[in-house]
Amino acid sequence: MIDVSSPSVFVHVSFWVFAAAAVLSGWRVFRTDSMVRATFLLLVSFLNVGAILLLLGGAYLGVALLFMMTVEMTVMAIFMVAFMMNPAGLNPMVMVHQPRLAAAAGWVLFGGGIVVAVWGRFPDRPLEPGRPVIVELGTELMGRSMLIFESAAVALVATMIGSVVLSSRRSRYGEAAGDDGSLPPPLDPVLGTYPTGVVPETSTDGGDGHGGDGHGGMH
Amino acid sequence: MLIVAAALLGLGLWGALAQQSIVMLLMGIELMINGVMLAGGGLWAYSAGGEPKGQLLLILAMAVMAIEMAIGLAVVVALYRARQVDMTEGLDSMGR
Amino acid sequence: MTAQAEVWAAPLLTAGVLAAGAYVVAVLDAAVAAAVSGAGIGRSVLAGPLRRAALLVVQQPSATERPDAASWALAPALYAGLAAAGLAVIPWSASFSVADVEAGIVLWGTVESLAIVAIFLHGWSANTHQSLLAAYRFLAAGLSYLLLSMFVLIAAAIPAESLQLSRIVESQHGLWNVVRQPLGLPLFAVVALGSSTWGPLNLADGDDLSGGTTADVSGRPRLVWSGARAAMLTSFSAMAATVFLGGWQGPVLPGPAWVVLKTLVVLAALVASGHLFARVRTERFVTVCWLVLLPLAFLDLVIAGVEAL
Repeated sequence: MIDVSSPSVFVHVSFWVFAAAAVLSGWRVFRTDSMVRATFLLLVSFLNVGAILLLLGGAYLGVALLFMMTVEMTVMAIFMVAFMMNPAGLNPMVMVHQPRLAAAAGWVLFGGGIVVAVWGRFPDRPLEPGRPVIVELGTELMGRSMLIFESAAVALVATMIGSVVLSSRRSRYGEAAGDDGSLPPPLDPVLGTYPTGVVPETSTDGGDGHGGDGHGGMH
Repeated sequence: MLIVAAALLGLGLWGALAQQSIVMLLMGIELMINGVMLAGGGLWAYSAGGEPKGQLLLILAMAVMAIEMAIGLAVVVALYRARQVDMTEGLDSMGR
Repeated sequence: MTAQAEVWAAPLLTAGVLAAGAYVVAVLDAAVAAAVSGAGIGRSVLAGPLRRAALLVVQQPSATERPDAASWALAPALYAGLAAAGLAVIPWSASFSVADVEAGIVLWGTVESLAIVAIFLHGWSANTHQSLLAAYRFLAAGLSYLLLSMFVLIAAAIPAESLQLSRIVESQHGLWNVVRQPLGLPLFAVVALGSSTWGPLNLADGDDLSGGTTADVSGRPRLVWSGARAAMLTSFSAMAATVFLGGWQGPVLPGPAWVVLKTLVVLAALVASGHLFARVRTERFVTVCWLVLLPLAFLDLVIAGVEAL
């Protein structure tokens, strides 16, 4: 375990290397053409922050961050490739809007952060070396803060159910024929009349690219 | 430490606001939470004396990140199914 | 041993064990292939791997059109480094391990998940048809088997009340985890085969895709990649021996000898599976993983939890 109160030169140097790598790769995420590269650059940023947490003595936190983020970014990579044009990154492209406003907002937040970091007053109570941080985390999670931990668990379960419901091809109107989500049943099954505002799909060519117009009743 | 965290936060906000694709927007939010995690870890180690509640906060930040991504990606899938859009410009109304 | 010597000895030991392990894997592979096909085990079993390695050293590395050069070059190195990091947390005896970190199990989980990234990048960055297909098909399988490993490893950590591997070995005194949690080892074997993309779960480098991610890799990069795969299998076997087969514990022989013996047994079983079972289909494997194996892994965790109460 590293002594946080009097770090060695090695710790200082590693911190700045990791920090520089984290910020640099975080910046490259939005500057690269390839979706896979962007995702894994974000992963590199996370890995470096995880390494910094390890330097700080958060043994479980650091490794857990490494682990969680790796899996998360792997999942992300699939979605990036699935939902972005130019998945292979062979053509240069810029897909941004309101770039000036966004950059300004980013700089303002950065400036605000610096103000807090430099002029803010924080208590100086460094982590004592040899403190059993993992054991403490475990007893905290299963002891005094169990309710918080449990709420997080419930939130995660709700997330699982919610994401399955949102992304499932089956919806409350049953199985969908294509990729358009399921359609509400017609009011009159014989005539095939639909509820007000719902336009049933008539053509199957889908040439106009609005295959989702028939998807109603959920709003 | 906090300066680096602020840099990550700023970069994340820039990315989230400037990117058109919803998936890239999510990446910006992730980067902001990354900055929050770094700031939290730094304060935990230097100012809170290794108080276990600080670790709990970071675990919760990780949970937030996971939830954000899962729901975010599910919304993208649902939106794509419903309207064939994956860009924020495609969403000019909350209705259909 | 002085502290100064240890700094150099630990990486050397890890690298040496992995290199030896990779060679043993190649020999075992050839021996099982010879035995299964009835060709008889000859001297070529021992010399064959060395001959192939020497050929790869002098062979010219192939080039593809616009690869992601950095990722292509770094993926084999990352993969080999992960195998080494994984092996480093394994305790060799009651008093010696290279890095017996407190969160050893979680570190191992990181190795597994980064291994998926490394294999995917290796296939993706070549920018060719077969390797990209292999990378995507592996990614689907990889995300499916990863959760299994988390459940069975946490189940093994419950009786030890610790995430540290040496404590997990100590907790198996008298009763190994393979008996206490019978579902653990087979499920972990699935993860081992998947992570080193070996045998029936060789989805990334399968012959059905002309070698998958290695379809367009030759020369020294190919040597590093093949060696890293065998090294990863070795690391996984050592991990299985540590977590499920009681690690260094055993009569008469010293601790490290038991670790090596048990690792070799697991290694032989895993390598033999490559010649005894057919390669799985990706869709079927993913379905089985989520619908059958994942509930089994959860059951394993429940068994461990109930027993701990």
